Amino acid sequence: MSELERSLLRRLRDRDERAFRELVNDHRDRVFNITYRMLGNRHEAEDVAQEVFITVFKTIETFREESKFSTWLYRVTVNHCKNRIKYLARRHDRDRDELDETSQQQNGAVNGAPVRAKHPDKALESAQMEKLLQEAIASLDDDQRAVVILRDVEDLSIEEICEITGLPDGTVKSRLHRARLVLRKKMQRHVE
Amino acid sequence: MTAEAAEAEIDEEIIVTLSDYLDNVLPPDKKAEVAAKIANDAAWKSAHAEMVDARQAIGETLSGLQKARPDVKFTDDVTGTIAKRSAGRFFGRRTFGDRVPFVAILVVALLGLGIIAYIMWSSPTGSLKVDKERTPGAQGSAIIDKP
Repeated sequence: MSELERSLLRRLRDRDERAFRELVNDHRDRVFNITYRMLGNRHEAEDVAQEVFITVFKTIETFREESKFSTWLYRVTVNHCKNRIKYLARRHDRDRDELDETSQQQNGAVNGAPVRAKHPDKALESAQMEKLLQEAIASLDDDQRAVVILRDVEDLSIEEICEITGLPDGTVKSRLHRARLVLRKKMQRHVE
Repeated sequence: MTAEAAEAEIDEEIIVTLSDYLDNVLPPDKKAEVAAKIANDAAWKSAHAEMVDARQAIGETLSGLQKARPDVKFTDDVTGTIAKRSAGRFFGRRTFGDRVPFVAILVVALLGLGIIAYIMWSSPTGSLKVDKERTPGAQGSAIIDKP
């Protein structure tokens, strides 16, 4: 860790607002890019990125300087993203259940069959490569998503990814490979 | 261990080794060993081809994605949220700026004291004014002479 980084950390621990703004300005683009690629939604990504920096500032005392500050920051980022993914999945399930109940109440008298919410493919058909990729990323489980984003989008080393995710080296490599295979398969299907 | 589980385990081992091979982090002797396996073993050969293809198709595409950037007000929003949640107590700035300027406060205090001292000195009724006619020596002789 550089002396500059140590000095910034000291100032952060002193609750120096200028130091905090420096930290946010230095890392916001990368943190936001991770949250955006993990969540696939700009509004959610900004909200989570904000929470990441707030958590960092509140818990800076717990950072023991055993790893790089950026590694710790990305660990906080990935954990927040995973929590948000779980929360959104629960909310989505709940919303879908509510929608199903409403639809059944509305249509049950007519045909009595459960009606599921339809997801039109129109948007998918007209989507560009980035949107397709983003959707393909969203279909990965959260660990695969984190690994492929940290490696292929953020260009971090396998060692750093192990530190960030807490996964063993072999697991990271195999998850990365399997994530790439899933993405390739999905992309090929859309291209065809 | 079932045959399926054994196969999955081998696959895992191949993936990890090939990943290191493609990342060019293997020592030369191990690298040569892996190259020989790729050339002679069908499982290694197909796994290698698949991995190279997936890396090129996805790895390169993802690394070429445009970087998403947050709103320009992002930093202000974060600091604003912290200030709001802590009712302004989190940062020292709310009262004195980014840091409490102790030196500036000391200089202002000394100046203030100097001004007060000057006013008391120059005022005819000021307690710091020196009245030569009422110096202890002059007064003392007056007291002695009076009776």
